[in-house]
Amino acid sequence: MPIARAQTGLTLAALAGLLFVAECERPVGCTGQYCGTMVIASGGEPDILLPPVSEFSITRDLTDQVFLKLADLGLSGNTIGDEDFQPQLAERWEWDAPTTLVFHLDPRARWQDGQAVTAADVAFTYDAYTDTLVNSSFRSSLRQIAAVTTRDSLTVVFRFRQRYPEMFYDAVYHMRILPAHLLREVPRDQWRSAAFGRSPVGDGPYRFVAWKAGESIELAADSTFFLGRPHLRRVIWRFTPDQFVAVTQLIAGDADAVEVLVTPDNVQRARADTQLVTYPYKGSAYGYVGFNLAVPGDSTKPHPLFGDRDLRRALVMATDRERLLRNVFGEFAKVPPGPLSQLWWIWDPEIHELPYDSGQAARLLTRTGWTDSDGDGIRDKGGRPLAFRLLLPTTSAIRRQYARLLQEQFRLGGVDVQLDEVDFSLFNERARAGRFDALLNVWNTDPTPSSGFPQTWTPAGFGRSNYGRYDNPDVDRLVDRAVASAANRDQARRAWRAAVETLNRDAPGIFLFATANVAAVHKRIVDVTIRPDSWLALLRTWRIPADRLTDRDRVER
Amino acid sequence: MAAWLVRRLVASIAIVFAVVTITFFVVHLAHGTPCGPGDRPLPPEVCQQLCRRFGCDKPLRVQYVKYLAALAQGDLSESIGLHRPVADALADAIPNTFILALAALLVDFALGLALGIYQAVRAGRFGDVAAGNVALLVNSMPVFWLGLVLLLVFAQWLRWFPAGGITNPVLCPRIDSPYCLLDFLWHLTLPALTLGLVGAASTARYQRAAMLEVVSQDYVRTARAKGLRERRVLLVHALRNALLPIITLFGLAFPFLFTGAVLIETVFAWPGMGRLAVNAIFQRDYPVVTGAALVTSATVVLGNLIADVLYAVADPRVRVPGEGR
Amino acid sequence: MNLWNWLALGGAAVLTLIVVAELRRRVRATAAGRRFFRHPTAELGLFVLAFFVTVAIAAPVVAPYAPYYQIDIEHPDHAPSAQFLLGTDPLSRDVWSRLVYGARVSLGIGAVAMLVAATVGTAVGAVAGYFRRGVDAALMRLVDVGLAMPRIFVLLMAVALWEHIALWVLVLLIGLTGWFGTSRLVRAEVLSLREREFVAAARALGAGAGRVIFRHVLPNAAAPIIVSGALGIGHMMLLEAGLSFLGLGVPSPAPSWGNMIADGWHKMSVAWWSSTFPGLAISLVVMALNAVGDALRDALDPRKEAA
Repeated sequence: MPIARAQTGLTLAALAGLLFVAECERPVGCTGQYCGTMVIASGGEPDILLPPVSEFSITRDLTDQVFLKLADLGLSGNTIGDEDFQPQLAERWEWDAPTTLVFHLDPRARWQDGQAVTAADVAFTYDAYTDTLVNSSFRSSLRQIAAVTTRDSLTVVFRFRQRYPEMFYDAVYHMRILPAHLLREVPRDQWRSAAFGRSPVGDGPYRFVAWKAGESIELAADSTFFLGRPHLRRVIWRFTPDQFVAVTQLIAGDADAVEVLVTPDNVQRARADTQLVTYPYKGSAYGYVGFNLAVPGDSTKPHPLFGDRDLRRALVMATDRERLLRNVFGEFAKVPPGPLSQLWWIWDPEIHELPYDSGQAARLLTRTGWTDSDGDGIRDKGGRPLAFRLLLPTTSAIRRQYARLLQEQFRLGGVDVQLDEVDFSLFNERARAGRFDALLNVWNTDPTPSSGFPQTWTPAGFGRSNYGRYDNPDVDRLVDRAVASAANRDQARRAWRAAVETLNRDAPGIFLFATANVAAVHKRIVDVTIRPDSWLALLRTWRIPADRLTDRDRVER
Repeated sequence: MAAWLVRRLVASIAIVFAVVTITFFVVHLAHGTPCGPGDRPLPPEVCQQLCRRFGCDKPLRVQYVKYLAALAQGDLSESIGLHRPVADALADAIPNTFILALAALLVDFALGLALGIYQAVRAGRFGDVAAGNVALLVNSMPVFWLGLVLLLVFAQWLRWFPAGGITNPVLCPRIDSPYCLLDFLWHLTLPALTLGLVGAASTARYQRAAMLEVVSQDYVRTARAKGLRERRVLLVHALRNALLPIITLFGLAFPFLFTGAVLIETVFAWPGMGRLAVNAIFQRDYPVVTGAALVTSATVVLGNLIADVLYAVADPRVRVPGEGR
Repeated sequence: MNLWNWLALGGAAVLTLIVVAELRRRVRATAAGRRFFRHPTAELGLFVLAFFVTVAIAAPVVAPYAPYYQIDIEHPDHAPSAQFLLGTDPLSRDVWSRLVYGARVSLGIGAVAMLVAATVGTAVGAVAGYFRRGVDAALMRLVDVGLAMPRIFVLLMAVALWEHIALWVLVLLIGLTGWFGTSRLVRAEVLSLREREFVAAARALGAGAGRVIFRHVLPNAAAPIIVSGALGIGHMMLLEAGLSFLGLGVPSPAPSWGNMIADGWHKMSVAWWSSTFPGLAISLVVMALNAVGDALRDALDPRKEAA
């Protein structure tokens, strides 16, 4: 009978509904001060979680939670001397001699598998970072350190080749101390693919839990961390195809934090969202078009186009960097006067650089023989058109936008640019191998130019960060002088300025933007302190008050 | 019947075999082995292992044989970008695409049948024409564009559905409770709806045509003459026979679903086969590409085979079809 | 959009109306033509197609701006207005102008790819149907293999395996991956036609296989080729749009409806017009092609000749 059938149907439905509701009530899990799950949406994924062999900033964000340095930079960002540094693995240090630095390790420090952290680990780490087989990009930053030896199980001795202002910075900032007992057996030339890098064991405030390739990495707080238990119980990085999707997830409530909002639209969306708080901080990134001064794939011969200094200068002068910047960033970036980020103290708008002058650029091109002899709108010389390919990753909306803007700017000047938009990993491989004409690159800089600048713009970076193989002995000399005189600010400033101005005259690239960062974090997370050189450096002090915990925060693991 | 089935099965296997062979040779001729010079060199010890299994320095035909042997044991080599065996990556991704395709097929057939029947009932009148044009428009839309529009409207503006992904990774890393199941279905809705809508329009047109053709047949007139109500005539007698073309559509749906899935999975960040294949292609992860080629062709061929079998079972007029179909 | 552009646009619309009306008048003389024009959607579809083709040809007059021209990069994403009919995109290019020039690219790619596919498909289908046995079996197995791989996957692989693919190569590939269905249709037609008397007569008179196929068989098999051609152009356009969306289609700065959608995707929430209008354009044109194709199928169906 229809009515009876309907009744049974209704009862069944009601029962099912009750079951669902009962299950929907998630069990109450974590309560109190040390709870919380923070989801960070990131437009990039780490390559390998082994500090010496990775160069991505996202990797650094992650490994800095798992591994400790001997001491860390203070909030002031001062890299000279040792007064402004905070103890981490080392609880104190002293200078035995002008070039001898002795660290005393904190006896409470433990690896996450239970073993104690000893001086042998530090010596092993130094050996690995400077090993040519590991080929770490940090090796050149450690070149002033002559030797690292152990005096006893908790005392490490650093001996330098000479005395210079940023000695302490070089000793502590670049190396993340690694567990010797777990990595000693791994052959040095296989570190890039070591299994340890997919499942690291460290001594930091967070320990590694899981890595789902292409999706997420999860870290959990180490409740016995000797410098203080982190408040946020879990931190999860979610990887998205690009930054725009990351911000979309943030605004949809699927993520709690994003490192940089990048574009004015995103900042507007975040500010309009009542659940988010925006945190502006000094940007450490700069972006540029880098020319390959050598033939792609053959570093012995000069590039047919970019080996010519005048051509490079003309291209720089043909670019209206201010207008391009306003389209892409609005007010959230500045045109840098050279390969500088806003974080560097040497930032000085007065530094001489090539001006935007399309008329002069045109004249220079014509003078060097590049004229439009066949009327197709593209200049040519000796039958060869002035055309090149610009390499950039598909993951960066900023660079894709710039690429299209530049394409049109150059086209109006008679230069034909084709875009090579490739996957991020492919982009890095090609950049490192020198297989490109020009590339659109972005660097996240260290707090001081002393380490990053030489790596990118002197022969010390050949095969590593100096993708375009730029080499000018004058610049090398000036950089050495600047680094050596770092204690004397004025002298150093003059030397740096001279170095940058010499480099600008050579035009190894078009320096497009230096970002001013704005991070966005969900408002329930308080005590958010951001250090500009590494935004998550103080993550273990961030917390969620007990009365603001959400369902996601209460999940226990 | 059995002989025909065996022949079809053998033919299907042969086709998949051919696809795998072609892919293998094309990839190796254009790009070389994963351990040769190229854009994404594998780490040395992984290379050693792979070369032992697949013979890097041997002539191509030897490598091919070794590849087939490994395939027979379920070994599809290592992925360069994902740092795990290709078979594992595929095993994780295939169920997601399968579920998406199934859900899309459900939407497709449910909407399409309903619309087609409605149109057949109201044949020639305004309802038919209007519905027909709307269906035609939806069928003509680029599937990824429709996805973008639905994402914008329902996920960003109205906030009724999530903006992509498959689950909430924090609360539901595995589907282990009714709550998580609901969450999964909630994430599944928009992508399945997008894929299904575009297909539904096409299904509706086929269904309408099939119903109209069947309605003019003799047995329907007999049913009417017997005095049965129009609704019963249509839904019981006509529909059963008009379902036959739908079975062919089922077979045709597989390639369409994969194509659509590639784009939809990109738009909605759904971690299925389509997205795996696209990412692998962009990253030049050739072992995954060959593996994906194998799986997709096997799926398509299987779909066609199932459709043929269903058709032969359902339509007594078409028992042992010859080769000339 | 200045006055001349509006006049040109109006002129294009009027021209299209006249052409379609004239076509209708002439074609209705035949039975097939009457059957075609029984479908009101087909007539509308014909108008839409003709309009887009006319506008594409008359692009320089109808479009107020050059398609690459970045008008005012400091104020991109202009909403649709009197000056910018469909707004401007994130690179401050006029969407209407790019739509009009993009019609050339998208329609052109669809047409050329379909031409390639139709040619190859017809040739293969005719040969297979005519010679039968070994040749037929071999070719049809090839077709089966071709149908087993989803087209977009094959195209993506082609792009991945070779570094820089020229656009014409991509168009060729789109065509070469799309002929399988046509070949089956043509084969079926040829199989049934080859038994007819006029074929036997031609062979008795000593005509070679090629001549028989080209002069006698194919003209009678034209109907399904034309119909699948009309429907196929739509598929090719959608495929090109999908490839451009993934970043592999028409390279920047040349506009195509597909890469216009890709360019504007990231700004959908604040500037919906950049991606919406190209998508609508594709939908309308493909819908028109589908409607015309359906009507053609109805009109050219030889079984209805007798009725």
